[in-house]
Amino acid sequence: MILTAACFVDSYSISKHQVSLGKVRRMKRIFPSIEKLKYFTKRERYSDGWSELSPYGREWEDAYRSRWQHDKVVRSTHGVNCTGSCSWKIFVKNGIVTWENQHTDYPSTGPDMPEFEPRGCPRGASFSWYLYSPLRVKYPYIRGVLLSMFREAMRETGDPVKAWAQIVENPEKASRYKKARGKGGLVRASWEEATQLISASMIYTLKKFGPDRIFGFSPIPAMSMVSYASGARFLSLIGAPLLSFYDWYADLPPASPQIWGDQTDVPESSDWFNSGYLLVWGSNLPMTRTPDAHFMTEARYRGTKVVSVSPDFAEFVKFADHWMQIKPGADGALAMAMGHVILKEFYVNRQTDYFVSYAKENTDFPNLITLEEREGGFVPSRFLTAEDLGVETNNAEWKTLVYDDKTGAFAVPHGSIGFRWGENGKWNLHMRDMTTGTPIEPRLSVLGVHDRIATVQLPYFDGEGKAVLRRAVPVKQVEAGGRTLTVTTVYDLTLANYGVPRGLGDDAPADYDEMKPYTPAWQEAITGIDRKLAERIAREFAKNAIDTGGRSMIIVGAGINHWYNSDTIYRAILNLVLMVGAQGVNGGGWAHYVGQEKLRPAEGWSSIAFARDWSAPPRHQNGTSFFYFATDQWRYEETPVHELVSPLAGKARYAHYADYNALAARLGWLPSYPQFNCNSLHMAEEAAKAGQSPADYIVNELKSGKLQFAVDDPDDPANFPRVLFVWRANLISSSGKGHEYFLKHLLGTTNGLLNEDEVSLRTEEIKWRGDAPEGKLDLLVSLDFRMTGTPLYSDIVLPAATWYEKSDLSSTDMHPFVHPFNPAVGPQWESRSDWDAFKEIAKQFSAMAEGQFAGPVQDIVTTPLLHDSPDELAQPYGQIKDWKKGETEPVPGKTMPRIHVVERDYAAVYEKMVSLGPQLKEKPNGTKGIQWSVADEYEQLKKINGTSRRTGITNGCPDLTTDTQVCEAILTLSSTTNGKVAVKAWEALEQKTALYLKDLAEERSEDRMTFASITAQPQTVITSPAFSGSKKGGRRYSPFTTNIEKRIPWRTLTGRQQYYLDHEMLIEFGEQMAVFKPTLKHTPFHPGSKRPDVKGKEVVLNYLTPHSKWSIHSMYYDSLPMLTLFRGGPTVWMNKDDAADAGIADNDWIECFNRNGAVAARAVVTHRIPRGMAFMYHAQDRHINVPGTKLTETRGGTHNSPTRIHVKPTHMIGGYAQLSYGFNYYGPTGNQRDLTVVIRKMEEVNWLED
Amino acid sequence: MFLWIIYPYLVLAVFLFGVVARFNGNPYGWTSKSSELLEKRLLRAGSTSFHWGIIFVFFGHVGGLLVPIEVYHALGVPDEAYHVVALGAGTIAGIAALFGVVMLIYRRWTVKRVRMTSSAGDWIALLFLLVVIATGMMATGRNALAESAFDYRTTINPWIRGVLIFRPDPSLMADVPAYFKVHVAAAFGLFAVFPFTRLVHVFSLPVTYLWRSYVLYRRRGSGKSA
Repeated sequence: MILTAACFVDSYSISKHQVSLGKVRRMKRIFPSIEKLKYFTKRERYSDGWSELSPYGREWEDAYRSRWQHDKVVRSTHGVNCTGSCSWKIFVKNGIVTWENQHTDYPSTGPDMPEFEPRGCPRGASFSWYLYSPLRVKYPYIRGVLLSMFREAMRETGDPVKAWAQIVENPEKASRYKKARGKGGLVRASWEEATQLISASMIYTLKKFGPDRIFGFSPIPAMSMVSYASGARFLSLIGAPLLSFYDWYADLPPASPQIWGDQTDVPESSDWFNSGYLLVWGSNLPMTRTPDAHFMTEARYRGTKVVSVSPDFAEFVKFADHWMQIKPGADGALAMAMGHVILKEFYVNRQTDYFVSYAKENTDFPNLITLEEREGGFVPSRFLTAEDLGVETNNAEWKTLVYDDKTGAFAVPHGSIGFRWGENGKWNLHMRDMTTGTPIEPRLSVLGVHDRIATVQLPYFDGEGKAVLRRAVPVKQVEAGGRTLTVTTVYDLTLANYGVPRGLGDDAPADYDEMKPYTPAWQEAITGIDRKLAERIAREFAKNAIDTGGRSMIIVGAGINHWYNSDTIYRAILNLVLMVGAQGVNGGGWAHYVGQEKLRPAEGWSSIAFARDWSAPPRHQNGTSFFYFATDQWRYEETPVHELVSPLAGKARYAHYADYNALAARLGWLPSYPQFNCNSLHMAEEAAKAGQSPADYIVNELKSGKLQFAVDDPDDPANFPRVLFVWRANLISSSGKGHEYFLKHLLGTTNGLLNEDEVSLRTEEIKWRGDAPEGKLDLLVSLDFRMTGTPLYSDIVLPAATWYEKSDLSSTDMHPFVHPFNPAVGPQWESRSDWDAFKEIAKQFSAMAEGQFAGPVQDIVTTPLLHDSPDELAQPYGQIKDWKKGETEPVPGKTMPRIHVVERDYAAVYEKMVSLGPQLKEKPNGTKGIQWSVADEYEQLKKINGTSRRTGITNGCPDLTTDTQVCEAILTLSSTTNGKVAVKAWEALEQKTALYLKDLAEERSEDRMTFASITAQPQTVITSPAFSGSKKGGRRYSPFTTNIEKRIPWRTLTGRQQYYLDHEMLIEFGEQMAVFKPTLKHTPFHPGSKRPDVKGKEVVLNYLTPHSKWSIHSMYYDSLPMLTLFRGGPTVWMNKDDAADAGIADNDWIECFNRNGAVAARAVVTHRIPRGMAFMYHAQDRHINVPGTKLTETRGGTHNSPTRIHVKPTHMIGGYAQLSYGFNYYGPTGNQRDLTVVIRKMEEVNWLED
Repeated sequence: MFLWIIYPYLVLAVFLFGVVARFNGNPYGWTSKSSELLEKRLLRAGSTSFHWGIIFVFFGHVGGLLVPIEVYHALGVPDEAYHVVALGAGTIAGIAALFGVVMLIYRRWTVKRVRMTSSAGDWIALLFLLVVIATGMMATGRNALAESAFDYRTTINPWIRGVLIFRPDPSLMADVPAYFKVHVAAAFGLFAVFPFTRLVHVFSLPVTYLWRSYVLYRRRGSGKSA
């Protein structure tokens, strides 16, 4: 439409063609009707009348000529968390964004490789549609019911804060506007009035409940860093917690921190080309990594074998040489069997030198584990440490041991976590003895030097239940401190666990056809994959690694990461790349792509985003726990934890999952905001009154029971979250797993929840209240440019600038470049960039706070024991000691959260937000446990950005008023984008490790990216210790190459990649080592509660919500260009035979439901999907073409209506080495895949339009 | 007075200015809005029948309204012969046009994709055509069946010619039967909406194809100065 309009306007102007021919004349405009009269003029004829000269002009051609003319081209991109991070040319014509196409100027990958350019897909190419679409949010909107209440209250009180109090403290009024959520009735308002209402609610909440009742949710900072930072910085200055997303999205693979102590570090897509063997495991590359998939197909041309693992005939399957068609969720079984084959053939039957030397230097295989004697045999316990042997040293209980073949004795090699803190120089991977410094020859197995063969008991799980396996291992016995310790290596235990026969007289399966764990035959029964094929792929994978020096790669993704036991699946799979020495090698290792996670300019960005330049620490809350309690999903648990724990553990610590979370909160494992059942702004004063330090005061109050953790009573109104900001996200529908629980409990509006909590599990520690609260949240504020799920349920919607209307930064895992967003046109209508929007809120908030607070206030902030800080040594041996039960004393920072006092000056929030604070200059900045000074860069920024001319504390600080200034600050302060900072960062790590490292960045020490330089062309990042891969000399990014090549330790307990984990809770769940765990058995409805009547035929299927072809999450799903491509509305894919069983034909309207809710959609009947499963592609939002369903008597839900999350207690572990908390690093995942739904044909399609 | 003097000129003004303004103002919007892409079968029947019918009806009207009765008399065409030919040929053409327009309306209503892409103008054009053709058929039919003495060649014919030469005489219309009046008024209505609908494609009949050269050249730039 816009294009045609533009053409018509242009057809009367002078065409560029004429300009280029130098024939610019002011032509008199001739009316077409007059022109027609020329027909009657004399004309020339040629060629005996066969041809003639037409009297008419050629102006009509200009319409076609100007079709592709434009006024300017601007470089921008899309902030959509597709991982693509493609740079685009945005074309503007007559002030209108008309279209976009791909940039082709990425820095070259070099002469021997395919290039990154061009990047982009049809989704991105259709984005300009949104700018002028009917979905565009053009003005600020406020829920009408609320606005009239507020205006009335303002007239009465004259004070916005009092007016707000009058509304929310009146139950009738509060329930009236909350019940209106999601039902239209948003009315246009001014920015002024909207920010006034927001500020009033915030100030009211601060004064009554405290800052930890105000929350911010925004995901994926890498997809638009400044926009994320805008709200994050504002909220951090206030002390409001930010919610994590990576774990909440279930994109976080907990196995990564477990094995590597790293959140997620993966190769760029071009490194696939370097691979010799690509195992693509549940990652649909052409569909979900569209701009990168070419590297996989190009690798095939140079002989790389591609093997696919997928239950459905997904797009990537057709590129593969083999299709291992696996049963959904059975991936762990296949991986265990492949591990069995590799260990047997390449470690036991024949020792492969490459694998063995890799294992000795880079994994915990040689590390020693103590065995605990139990009835029936030993059970593997924890790592043997220097303390066990009575060695006097710093952090003795954190230094792990190996058996040295040279000396025939135990030795403490460099590199374990004990060397990381409190000393310098030995935290490296040199296999040297801690005290003598002599090289160590670690033994993989104690077999040969063993004292005896012992029986170990190992937990086993499958679809039938649990069992204990008894396997023989060689052990050594050590006398120490008057005790006899029985120890063996991780390698020996791993062989026993995988059931590799070693002739030690146990019942390990003698050959692959024996139906015992974990043989290829055993897996065949579970996965449905031919045993010979599994065996062959395992063998080829290992052989390729031998032939290529480790270039065997496994690409994994959401397909296997969204299961409840995804961590055991991942560990089983990742063990394969460790076994074959592929990790930390270009072309090898794991490649996990689930979200645009890699924010390259990390440190500069996080300092600004979390306002560390003014105050620290910020409040960071793990999203899953927050939503689990806030939406009351915890009230509907049915499977007791006992069913999930190890057969060796007997009973679980608690029957209820939520109790584990309460434990994690009070032991300092997980963050937990709201913190306590009282206002954190009042506690410092109370402590002073009591004459105690804040920490002592809190400990005493907690002990006496006067003070409670808020998580111990989530349904107490004192502990409700009150205000929630959502920006750059579509929380209510797209990522709100347990959608109907959100609607009922958090928002308090009409919902389709079919569940009830009468029959559910009861908590032990957490207080159970009879009536579940509804409508906990007072105010939901969203910033969006689309009127989609979240804005429709919000109380206030602020119009956001699109990606073509602001300045920002983008980076990704998939490529190594940093590149910008630029405004092609200004923010349209009354929209504003996120930075400007939050500035506006901050300005209003600060002005209003002036009269509301007497001056700066003291805020008591609790934080969990953090990874990459000395706190990760808080709880030795991973033993759980609960101070509440008297097992230990509550000591902040040791056995419970850390307690900080942070000063908040609410009247100065705006000024601080727009100036870079002096803390950056005065204190060292850093990441991953190393720190360096950025004082020089701070001074430099004063010149680049100019300084603040305001009087007061911000005077003379570098200015951050505009989004481009924020970009400059991020680029200047970060080690990946400023060479000088990178060298300083490496020097800091050199200090700690006594390794030579700075050469990795020295070649680019003079490079400093600026916003102009990345706008001219995307720039390749500089190698920095913020990430583990090297880009030195233009090589392709692959994670952990600096660990392997430079001998930098992994940030784990042993300093190596870990096959073994020894935390008490992992032992409770039987997950010390990789195991197979089946998917959870959830029926659609609780057997003990009622369900909707059976009407006609129905079928029960596993309900999966993978990523779509025609959208990126809910983005593009609602755009006309994409809707046109496939059925134009919600669909559920199912197998043709399942459909036949339920009497469903293709394109029939169906309803798909379980206890969590119902969704109405059309059936896509296909042979591509195996029986037993249904796909409802992710994030089919509720505002497009959704009829009502009789089941819920309301409009038929979203893809998340039949979902809910299931939290796993092992993800809550903290205070222990790599299992310590980090924001978006560790924490329970919001997984939602272990679910079943009933599908049936809809009797009647009711559009609820009367 | 209004109906037979002001109204016709109003219509003619709207018609002429409308057509010219549209052609000048939005030349690329000049279209027959073909919906053949959306539905073929009904269109083939309806459109063909309508177009052939309406073309003959048009020439019939030229013969009946613009040619003075004196010309027929001078040529020695007896009234009976005229009426037989006019009624015979006119009825066939009229039935074809009526069948066609009903078919097109039916198609536009029942075929969902055509209905969804229809504008108000499309409906107005069709409904006017239906009314005009139907009343025309009725008028002619009743006139013939009733064997009335009414001859439009002595009433409507001179009136319309009067209008066209700016000497309108409304008294000529005074005794015209009501159904003819309705037909004439509706026909003028059709002309009034004509410029704003797809009907303008009437003027795009590519008759020049019949005699133009096969190969056409155009000068670069505009007009004569190359």
